[in-house]
Parts: sequence; C-alpha cells; structure tokens
Amino acid sequence: AHLITMTSLSEEVLLVVKKVRQKKQDGTLYLMAERIAWGPEGKDRFTVSHLYADIRCQKISPDGKAKVQLQLVLHTGESTTFHFANESTALKDREAAKELLQQLLPKFKKKANKELEEKNRMLQEDPVLFQLYKDLVVSQVISAEEFWANRLGGINNTDPSPYNNKQEVGISGAFLADIRPQTDGCNGLRYNLTADIIESIFRTYPAVKQKYSENVPHNLTEKEFWTRFFQSHYFHRDRINTGTQDIFSECAKQDEKGLKSLVTQGVKNPLVDLQSLEDKTLDEGYGICTTQPSTSNANKSVKDSSNSAIIKRFNHHSAMVLAAGSRRGELASDQASETSSTDGNSRDSDFFQPPVKKVKLQEAIEFEDLQRENRPKTVPLNLKKSDRYAHGPVPLQSQQYTTSQDIINSVNYIRHEMANYKPSLTQVLSSTAATSAIAALSPGGVLMQGGAQQAINQMVPTEVQGELKHLYVAAGELLRHFWSCFPVNTPFLEEKVIKMKSNLERFQMTKLHPFKEKIQRQYLSTNLTGHLEEMLQTAYSKFQIWQTRRMMRKT
Amino acid sequence: MKLNIEGLLVYFPYDYIYPEQYSYMLELKRTLDAKGHGVLEMPSGTGKTISLLSLIVAYQRAFPLEVTKLIYCSRTVPEIEKVVEELRKLMEFYTKETGESNNFLALALSSRKNLCIHPEVSSLRFGKEVDGKCHSLTASYIRAQHHSNPNLPVCRFYEEFDSVGRQVPLPAGIYNLDDLKAFGRRKGWCPYYLARYSILHANIVVYSYHYLLDPKIADLVSKELAKKSVVVFDEAHNIDNVCIDSMSVNITRRTLDRCQNNVDTLQNTIHKIKETDAAKLREEYRRLVEGLKEANVARETDIYLANPVLPDEILQEAVPGSIRTAEHFVGFMRRFLEYLKSRLRVQHVVQESAPQFLKDIFDKVCIDRKPLRFCAERLQSLLRTLEIADIADFSAVTLISNFATLVSTYSQGFTIIIEPFEDRTPTIANPVLHFSCMDPSIAIKPVFQRFQSVVITSGTLSPLDIYPRILDFRPVTMASFTMTLARTCLCPLIVGRGNDQVALSSKFETREDFAVIRNYGNLLLEMSAIVPDGIVAFFTSYVYMENIVASWYEQGILENIQRNKLIFIETQDAAETSMALEKYQEACENGRGAILLSVARGKVSEGIDFVHHYGRAVLMFGVPYVYTQSRILKARLEYLRDQFQIRENDFLTFDAMRHAAQCVGRAIRGKTDYGLMIFADKRYARADKRGKLPRWIQEHINDGSLNLTVDEAVQLSKHFLRQMAQPFRQEDQLGLSLLTLEQLESEEMLQKITQIAHQT
Repeated sequence: AHLITMTSLSEEVLLVVKKVRQKKQDGTLYLMAERIAWGPEGKDRFTVSHLYADIRCQKISPDGKAKVQLQLVLHTGESTTFHFANESTALKDREAAKELLQQLLPKFKKKANKELEEKNRMLQEDPVLFQLYKDLVVSQVISAEEFWANRLGGINNTDPSPYNNKQEVGISGAFLADIRPQTDGCNGLRYNLTADIIESIFRTYPAVKQKYSENVPHNLTEKEFWTRFFQSHYFHRDRINTGTQDIFSECAKQDEKGLKSLVTQGVKNPLVDLQSLEDKTLDEGYGICTTQPSTSNANKSVKDSSNSAIIKRFNHHSAMVLAAGSRRGELASDQASETSSTDGNSRDSDFFQPPVKKVKLQEAIEFEDLQRENRPKTVPLNLKKSDRYAHGPVPLQSQQYTTSQDIINSVNYIRHEMANYKPSLTQVLSSTAATSAIAALSPGGVLMQGGAQQAINQMVPTEVQGELKHLYVAAGELLRHFWSCFPVNTPFLEEKVIKMKSNLERFQMTKLHPFKEKIQRQYLSTNLTGHLEEMLQTAYSKFQIWQTRRMMRKT
Repeated sequence: MKLNIEGLLVYFPYDYIYPEQYSYMLELKRTLDAKGHGVLEMPSGTGKTISLLSLIVAYQRAFPLEVTKLIYCSRTVPEIEKVVEELRKLMEFYTKETGESNNFLALALSSRKNLCIHPEVSSLRFGKEVDGKCHSLTASYIRAQHHSNPNLPVCRFYEEFDSVGRQVPLPAGIYNLDDLKAFGRRKGWCPYYLARYSILHANIVVYSYHYLLDPKIADLVSKELAKKSVVVFDEAHNIDNVCIDSMSVNITRRTLDRCQNNVDTLQNTIHKIKETDAAKLREEYRRLVEGLKEANVARETDIYLANPVLPDEILQEAVPGSIRTAEHFVGFMRRFLEYLKSRLRVQHVVQESAPQFLKDIFDKVCIDRKPLRFCAERLQSLLRTLEIADIADFSAVTLISNFATLVSTYSQGFTIIIEPFEDRTPTIANPVLHFSCMDPSIAIKPVFQRFQSVVITSGTLSPLDIYPRILDFRPVTMASFTMTLARTCLCPLIVGRGNDQVALSSKFETREDFAVIRNYGNLLLEMSAIVPDGIVAFFTSYVYMENIVASWYEQGILENIQRNKLIFIETQDAAETSMALEKYQEACENGRGAILLSVARGKVSEGIDFVHHYGRAVLMFGVPYVYTQSRILKARLEYLRDQFQIRENDFLTFDAMRHAAQCVGRAIRGKTDYGLMIFADKRYARADKRGKLPRWIQEHINDGSLNLTVDEAVQLSKHFLRQMAQPFRQEDQLGLSLLTLEQLESEEMLQKITQIAHQT
C-alpha cells in the first residue's frame, strides 16, 4: 500500500534497497521496470527519479573504500550518488543494485543511444546546426525538445533522409588474411578473431552463419565452433575434403551449389559471355589440339585438383565479398529483372535482352573524342512527387515576368549599343562634372551606397559579420517554426504559435537588441539589422491578424 | 564530315578524324584501285572499323560495277554486332547528309543458335543441338514426308520462308542479328535461312571467319558470293590458326567406336529399307552413276552435304563402282575402320605423310585412293537416301569419311601423327591419330583466288611480312600505322629483375624457381597498391598459372593482394569464367578494384576488351610461347622451314609476340583511354622479341625501361598514372591527334600524314 501511493501508475518493482543515503539523507532506493527512484525515509514521494533511458552509465566506488557508493551518470552530464549505508549488507546491497542495473541499462540504452547518437552526429556534421543549437537551446530561447521536434523526423520516419542514407561499409577482401595464426609456444595455433571479422565472415558466408545459429550454443560453445572452423577444409582452401564429420563440409557443398546456380544463370552483359563469343565452334574431332586434353578427371593428380580448388575458392570468395557489399542494391535489381521477365518465356528472353545489349554495343563503338560536343553528363531529375512538379505552385496574380529571352535580347541590345557608340566630342561634360560623377560612381561614392554586399564586406569587421550570420540563421530557424504553424487549425498549433511568437519576442530582446546596440556603439551606421527586424515585424503582423481574426470568431 | 580521299568522296560520320584514319583510308583505296590484296595494321581504338566501312561504302557507291559486295569477316559474335552497329551509324549519316535513304542492304549472318526463333529449337543451349534439331525439321525428305503425313512436325518459319520469303528480297536497310529476328518474327519467316538467302544480293555481309575459311561451311554458305567482292578479315592476327584448325582431324579410339556403331546402324537401316523400299536404293545407285552434279539438289537445307574439300574433278566423275551400292560402301567403310583401328594399336609414335599412309593402306587392306576421295560425298548421299533425321549422331562416321577424302586429296601440307599415349601420362594408353594441316594457305587459297580484294587487318600484325609468306599471297599494299597521341597514354615497361636482382623469366629452366615466382608475386602486389580500378594479368599457360597461384597462396601473397583488390581467376570452364569476368567488371565499376588472372591464348585474351577503368594495367608474366614439345607443332615448324624458309625460332617468337601484343593491347582501346603494359620477363628486352611487337607499342619503349626492377617499374608507373589522372580534354588533342576538316586539309598535315603509314 505504501508503494502504490508513491507510484502514480502501478509499476513493477524489481528491487527495494533500504538504508540508502542520498545527499546525506536516509531513504529507500527502488528499481522499477523503467526507472530508478529514491525517496527519503518517511515521505511517500520520490525526490529522485531517473528513467533508465536517461542513464548513461553507473559507477561504483572501489572495493576497499569506506563508503559503499553507486553513482549514476546521466546523458545530460548530471550525476546522482547513492550511498549504501546498511552496515552489514552495504556491499551486498550495492552488488544487487549494480547487477540489476547492469541487466536493465543496456536494454534501454539502445533506444536512447540511437536517438542521442543521431542528434550528436547531426550536430557534429553540421556546424551551422550546431551554432543554431548554441544560439537557441543553450541560451534557452527555445527548449531542446522544440528544437529537435521536427528535425528528428527523419530518424523516426521511414523516409530516408539524406542523413540517414549513409553508404553501407563493405567488407575487406582480405578479412580472412587478418586472422593470422600465431603459435602459442606449445605446439598450438592461436587465431585472433574480432567482432568485425566474425561479422565479415557471417556477411560473406551466410552458410557459416547458419551453421553458427544451428550449433551455438546448443551443440558447441562459440570457441569450439570457431576452432572447428579454422580446422576445417572449408577455411583452408587447398585441403581436400577428407573428414566426414566436418560440419563445414555442408557449407562447402552449399557454396558449390550457389556457385553453380550463379554460373547457370549466366551473365547479363552479352559482351563478356565467353560461351556465346564464338560463332561457330569446330565440331568434335576437328582442329588442332595444341594443349593436352585434360578432360578425364581420373588422371588428374591430387595437386592439380587442389590447385583448381584454390582457384575456385578465390573466385567464389571475391564474388561473395562483392555481393555482401552490394546486397541491398542487388535485391532491387533482382526484383526489377524478375518483374520484367514475367512477360517473356524461358530462353526466348531476347525480347527484353536487347536493351542491355544495345547499350553495351553502343558503348563499345562510341568514340567520344570524335564527336563534336562532349556535352556534360546530366544528372537525372529525381522527383519524389511528380504530380507536385507537374502542377507546381501557380502564381497568384499575373506579374511582369522577364523571360530569359528578354534578358538575352536586352543584353544583345546593350552590346549593340556599345558597339555602335560614337562619342560626340562637341557635347561632353565639363571636367569638374566628370570628376564628381566618377567619384560618385566609385566605391563609397554617393551612387554606390546601394551595393550593400560590398559595403558589408568592406565596412564591417568580420566578427560582426559572423555574429550577424548567426543571428540570421537563428532568426530563420525561429521564423520557420513560426510560419510552419500556419494554417493554425489544431489547438496544438494554436498553443505553438503563441509560444513561437513569444520565442520570437524573446529572441528580439535577448539577441537582436544587444547586437543592435553593440553595432551602434561601434559607430557602424549602416542599418544591418533592418532586414531582420522587418522579418520579425512581418511575423508579428501575421500573428496580429491571426489573433484578431480568432477573437472575432470567438465573439 | 566529307573527305576527299584521292578524288573519292567519302562520308565519315564524325566531326573529327584521327590522322591515322585518313592515312588508313588512303592505303585502303590504293588496294581497291589496284584490285589486289592488302595487309594493314592499325592500333586498336583508332577507329579502324569505321574507316574501313566509310571508305568501302563510298567506293561501292562511286564504282558500283567495280565492287559489288563487301564481305566483312570478324571473329566473335559481339565483334560482328559491333561492326553492324557502326555501319548503321554510317548509313544514318548518309541519310542525314544526302537527304535520301540509300538502298543499301547490309546484314549479319550467324549460326542458327543466334538466329533461330523457333520456340523449341531456340531454347536448346548448344549450337550443335540447335543445328541438329533444325535439320530434323527442315531436311528435304522430312518436308516431303510431311506432305503425305501432316502430323510430322516441320518448322513453320522455314515453310513460310520457303513458300513466300524467296520471292521478295529483303528490303534495303541494316540488319543486325536482333533485327533479323525481329523481322523474321514479324513476317513469320526463318531469319537464319532468310539471312543465308539474302547474303547473295546484299551489299554488305558481316559474318565470322568460318563461313569463308572452313570449307565445310564455306561450301554451303559462301560459294555463290560474287567475285567482285572485297573481303575484309578483321582481327586477323590468328587467321593462320583458323585455317589450320578447319582442315585438321583427330581420331581417337572413342571416335572409332562411335563410328563402328554408326556403321552398324547404317547396315541395319539398309537391310530394313531393302525389304520395304528397295526402289529407293536403286534410285540412289542410278544417281551415283550419273555423277555427283545432281547431288546439288537438296544442298541448301541438308547440312550434312558439307564436304571438306571437294576437288572440282570429283564433281565431274561418277562415283567409283566399288562404293556405289549402299552395302558395298558400308563394307568399304568397315574395312577402312578396321584399318584405322589397327593403326591405333601402336606402341610408339608414328609420323608419316599422306602418300605414305595411302601406300600403307593399299598394301594392307587394298583400299585404293580413288574411292577414298569420294568417301565424304558418298556418305552424305547415303545418309540422305536413308532419310536419317538426327545427323548429329552420325558425326563420327562423317568425321572419318571427311578424313578419308582429305587424306587422299592432298599429298602435301598435311602430316599424320599417331601417338599411343599422352606425353604427361605415359602409362595410360590413349592412342590418337592426328591428321593435321600444316599449311594455312590451303584453306584460304580459294578466297584469295576468287575475290578481287582481300584485306587482312588487325591491331597487331607485326611483323607484317610474315603473313603473306605463311598465307602464300602477294599483297599490293602492306602498311603499319602508328597511333598519333597528344599524350602518351600507354606505358610499356619491361621488368627484367626482381628487387633482389633475380632475373625474371618464364623460361622452362626457371619455371619452378621459387625466387621468380615470389618476385612475380611482389610485382603484382606492388602494382595492386598503386594502380586504380582494374588490373589484368596474363600467364603463359593455364598450368603455369595454376602452379603460380598455388604457390602465391602458400606464401600469403594473394592474401596481401586481397587487401588492395579482389581477385578473380580464369578457369577452364567458360561459364565460370564469364561469371568471374562480370564480377570483375562489377568490382571495377563500384570502385573496389579487382585483379583478373588470365591466360594468354585463352578466350579472355582474344575476345574481351578492358576499356578504361576495366584495365588500367596489364601484366604479362613471361613470354607466351606455344607448347613446343608437341609433335604437331614440330611438324609444322619443319614444314614452314622447308616450304617458306621461315626459321623455327622466328616463327615461335613471332607467334609468342603476337599473343603478348594481343594481351597487352586489350587495355588500350582509344586515345582517351590509358594503361600500363608491363612485360615481366627479361627476354622482352632483346631486340628480336621487342622488334616483333607492333610499332605503336614498340615506339613507346625507351631504352631506359628495358630492364627494370620491380621497384623501378613501380616508380615509373606511379609517375605515369599521376600524369594520366590529369584532365584530358578534346582541345588537348585537336590539331595533333584529332583533326577538323580544315586542319586535315592543310598542306603541313597532309605531309605529316604520309609518315604515319609505315610501308614495308
């Protein structure tokens, strides 16, 4: 009954440890299904409660120390220390808590870590985002949650965002070579296996993985499994299969089968198909056989067949490594070819074979340097929603557009004018008027004020420029949040838009105004922040309009 | 652009031209003008094919009565298809420029396997099966039986073609193999027979060597092609071997056993027919009395009419009486077979000439020369009479009868070698009778005699003068062209020593030498670290490669190479190798990089191009000499020495170097391409070897790179690759190795161009 009052929902309590001190207060530690909590003695609420997902790690005090402690370090960097104070069972208590946490934490870690790692990675990869984070979150303009709210969408969504679309790392072709056997001094060999190598073996040889899952741990320990693997003929390609109880002989057979099926499938590119290269092979019995026919397997020596086994294995290994690296891509193309093959009958498949062949043939006869223009290779447009592209945003009102043809015409016109320009020397400016005109047109002159870009580059120190840039980014981010609320059609959005407006105001107060004052202090007369203020003003007025409309609707 | 080649207007479907292309066309035009034969060597990747086509098509248009047909022979199916595609490009250009569609008919011809559209027949995998099945549906007597018994299956595509297709000629246009099939499907006609029929009136025919050089096929397909044709043999560096192969026969015990079965079957069939339809046999006898001329009737469809070489005089004569009746002939064949069996029971190697063989057979079993000569023809007649559907089964007896005809027809240029066992396995009896042709000119002679101009061309034909000698013809032009280059995009290096100064060589004495193998491994390892994308390495033979790979594996060299690139290895199985090749290309494509270990004289070295990143370096481990211990080769060398005054060593070196050049030439397929060519054998440095490389490779070997160590080669390669990695634009080439029409027509350039062709 005591517990139920303390936990709002009935949670499963996994462990209760009494006499645990936290901040020099006695209390009880509870380990529950999803969180760890501590309540001071005599009170029916928790003063400390951490979700397991928030905990980065636990630390314990060294054994010899007087105080028996357990520290929890959170992802935020904070930490909480518990002191096990029950004199007789302190160590045992802590061990129990530690053991349990050890089991629990990894389960939650994965999920939390993934998100956290993702955030971390995004911040590391994108310095602009990082700056934004510093500007907005660290300075507490908006909360971290708000900041991540629509950025992490990509992670949870299945939609592959560019961040998510990382290339898969392939497998080194020589991963087996990395397992150099070392003699351990007493007539034995030691193989060093790492998790990476095991992963490589599994990815390259699915048959071995299958064997592993079949046999470990029911029949063999992991160590035994790998020992057998290294002893097997399967690993040593040059040995001829002799042992029958070798569990890997089946793998070899499967490989053989896979290889055969690959071979019978044939090749897609007709230009490398050696079988159909010759147009007319000589009939049996004709021709000069300069090489000794070694057709009969009987008179092949053991060495020969072991040699050819090595060669086969190398081809197979390379093919498997290659396939493991591009398995995902393969799948898609396989499907594509399958769907296309449904309409063709068995070998009369040349209905759709020609495209590959045609392309390859064209490639083969092409002389790129003999053609006139080497047009740059264009990137195909990848449309996610083609209907949106087709219909596009329609301009609201008709406007005066300048087409590129207009521009070209006017450029031509100007060029033409320039070419035909004839100075009429009788009607020239006086020298003073000319000098002042030149002055006015030089940088810094009256007529050159408009070139703001140039002005900023030249007139504002770089640090101010940098600061301004950050302000822009931050303001842009806030405004994006703000505008994304429109149209405001849910209560949630209503709440958000109000919050965002206050965020904007806070931004203006805490960031923009100090900056403005600063540049004023530095006598930078140009109105650098004008545009920013304008943007904010637009947002405010939008907000105003929305609010008045809402009021009207309410009344 | 439109070119003026000594007064001939040539349409050239590109905006620019390589200087050597212009030079090549000049030489070609002179050959055609003189109505003679020519030998032209031009590097691969300099647009040889399009130059050839442009000039000959222009010539055909300008002098339609002088040159009526172009017969373009290439080696592989992809090559054939490439030629047709280039031709299509040219014709499109003609249409664009002249505004009128010209009435040229050009088509590719290939075996049934590549052209058949019959759903059942075309699903068979092997060419021989397709041929056999096709024959069982289209043979004349099958079709005749079909008239009385409509349930008997025939090929509807052939029937349709036979009844309708012959009347209307194939409309003008360019037909590749797939186009022919599409056309055949649309019309319901057999594309294969349509193509075979259409080559007679086509302006351009593209097919493989065999249709002209293998007398068994040439007699069927190409016999009636017009005399005023220009014949081009592209990729002709191995043409002598093609000629020899098509005329040689090997007979083993297995062949004889199968032949025995064939003869038994024939005898049984004859017995049966005698009881039921004796008239048929009498009819045949009557025909044979009248001579073989009439045997032409059903020639087209019945492929067993193929005849090795049927001398003209035979066609005039009647079949000798001793083999005229079916039973007598079968008895004759039995006797011949028994004789061959007895000859195969030998304990030691026997070598003899054709006249010796004939004398022996006359002494032992009283078989005369004359009936032997008729053997092939007589057998075909019998097979036709007996209406045997599946001729594939009778390949053994056909082979024996072809042998009989050949051995009795030619007294020179052939040798007979009977070996009781293979050299490597002297304990296992496996007697073989080799009847091998040693004189390539026999097979190609009819081509030179019949056609007005024959052009032999390839990227590697050096030394040029040897081809006219071994093929026995008088060319009017012989020229070798170099590749004009704005940047030196090929880098031939001769690596003669390892870093430990051990001489590198694949010669027999050091073949098993551990130090050499290790150094070869080091060379490959070092290269794998510095060369981007693909590396191709060639070995001198398959056995050699197997041994080296095994010992590299033991020494851990391959594992180290795998850290840099994936390894793929050619095997003796073509399907497996195709897959390895495709994977190799995939690995080059996706950036991982790969090494292909392959064999000179293998299929890869002859048929596969490694353009751009598919081959940034080619390594040639050793000099690819042919296996010199073979008796057949020895006999051939002797023959070459006696007949053509070609010294044995000269020929062997020539043969090795042309294969080496083929291998390394695989990597450079154009002026924008680049690649290293590494000759890893100290023997390449010698003048007699180096001098036999094509000029376009030779001229880039400088004296400093003749005997490099592995390290030095690596340094040079690094430097070369870095240079090549710089951007290379069209402007860099213009005026040097790439010309506009104006540049071409300038006096100075024309002067330069005359130097490109190297006359011999």
